[in-house]
Amino acid sequence: MTRNPIAALAPTAGTPKTGEAETVMRAEGVKKGFHRGLPPRRRRTEVLKGASLEVRRGELVGLVGENGSGKSTLMKIVVGMMEGDGGEIERNGKLGYCPQTPLLWEKLTVAEHFELFARAYDLDQTEADSTSQSLLAELQFERYRGYRIEDLSGGTRQKLNLALALMHGPDLLLLDEPYSGFDWETYLRFWEMSERRRDQGMGILIVSHFLSERERLDRVYELRDGRCIEA
Amino acid sequence: MSGIVISSADFLREHLRARLTLVMLVALPALFVLVSASVLGEFASALGGSVAGDSASALGAGWAAAFMAGALGFFQVASARGADRRLALAGMGAVPVAVARISASILLGLLISGVAFGTLWLAAGIAHPAHAFIAILIFALIYIGIGTVVGSFISDPLEGSLTVAFIFLIDAFSGPGMSGGGGLAQLMPTRKAADVLVAAGAGQSSPAGDWIAVCLTALGALLIATGAFWLSARPRSA
Repeated sequence: MTRNPIAALAPTAGTPKTGEAETVMRAEGVKKGFHRGLPPRRRRTEVLKGASLEVRRGELVGLVGENGSGKSTLMKIVVGMMEGDGGEIERNGKLGYCPQTPLLWEKLTVAEHFELFARAYDLDQTEADSTSQSLLAELQFERYRGYRIEDLSGGTRQKLNLALALMHGPDLLLLDEPYSGFDWETYLRFWEMSERRRDQGMGILIVSHFLSERERLDRVYELRDGRCIEA
Repeated sequence: MSGIVISSADFLREHLRARLTLVMLVALPALFVLVSASVLGEFASALGGSVAGDSASALGAGWAAAFMAGALGFFQVASARGADRRLALAGMGAVPVAVARISASILLGLLISGVAFGTLWLAAGIAHPAHAFIAILIFALIYIGIGTVVGSFISDPLEGSLTVAFIFLIDAFSGPGMSGGGGLAQLMPTRKAADVLVAAGAGQSSPAGDWIAVCLTALGALLIATGAFWLSARPRSA
């Protein structure tokens, strides 16, 4: 399996949602299997059997499927958190990734997380401060800035998880079950934020076992029997 | 570079904010040096070894530093694997994350060794303090390597802690002064460090060959630990 980044794209705010928009991520024939159990009862389960999907700039795409269908596995392979057994991934531009389980450091504060990721994204101090402040305000958790992660509720952790994926203004945003733990107001705000960023040209892929807001999405893939079917 | 410094400081802070870590940092050397020195001597006698008195106290300080460093090394890898990989993927890169982790580990090792050495100094005094401190530090560095390797293969906190404790017990009770010194003892990574520490406890110097051996072992352990941190942070090619 190879990763061949396609040519870098210049940011184009407000790119129309058409089939002609440039591709920011393409997965082609991704395969992945897992071994389970111990010999002699060791078995191999093929989770992904050639899954293909693509996300274009200025598109809000959903990926649905039953529990255990391989959505998070596909997402991890696309991001580079997990090795695939076959297929090809092409990614273009800056990547933002919001994992299903918030991957955070329990003893560090919200502000320290922003600082660490600002370094990783190579943001200067002014940019880092203004971005983190605006995300804290947008997701309404400014008062938790000095709190350690171990002291936060599940929903607030998830807000930080999402904010860290957004703080560098990615071209491609991959969200794995991003609204678990959100209250209703935050859930609605999440969709508004996503649509606003989509309209500014971001390509967004949302993974969920249950998408009740299909009308908000430009396209939906269903992961069934290890393959993606455009619904 | 500033990214490495900031993340290293954060990784260090992460451990020092855990109350239990701070309690153990003081309690373990106290237990090993103040309480168990005489017990170590009795154990050694039963196992065919000869360590006793100030040498047993010095060895206790080394083991306290080793156990603490092993446990922290394990948790540095096991508990933060996902978050570290996310940070590396976000643009920090696996090598800087590994460098930040190993820097934090060395600082923790210095702190742990300092506390263990201080306890030893206050409790028993020591004829060769510089030798003893370096030997205790080397115990800690070797166990940082052991802890991170265990953390690379085992992520479950209970299983990982038990594995580190199991290695520690085999190492401690087969080491120089604690047993006859044959067989398994020859293969244990802390063997030479224990020789140096026992000698320092007894007011004796160690031969240059022993110092070279312990320094090379510590360097090897740090390289292995850096590799383990890199492996846990590195992005997976699709």
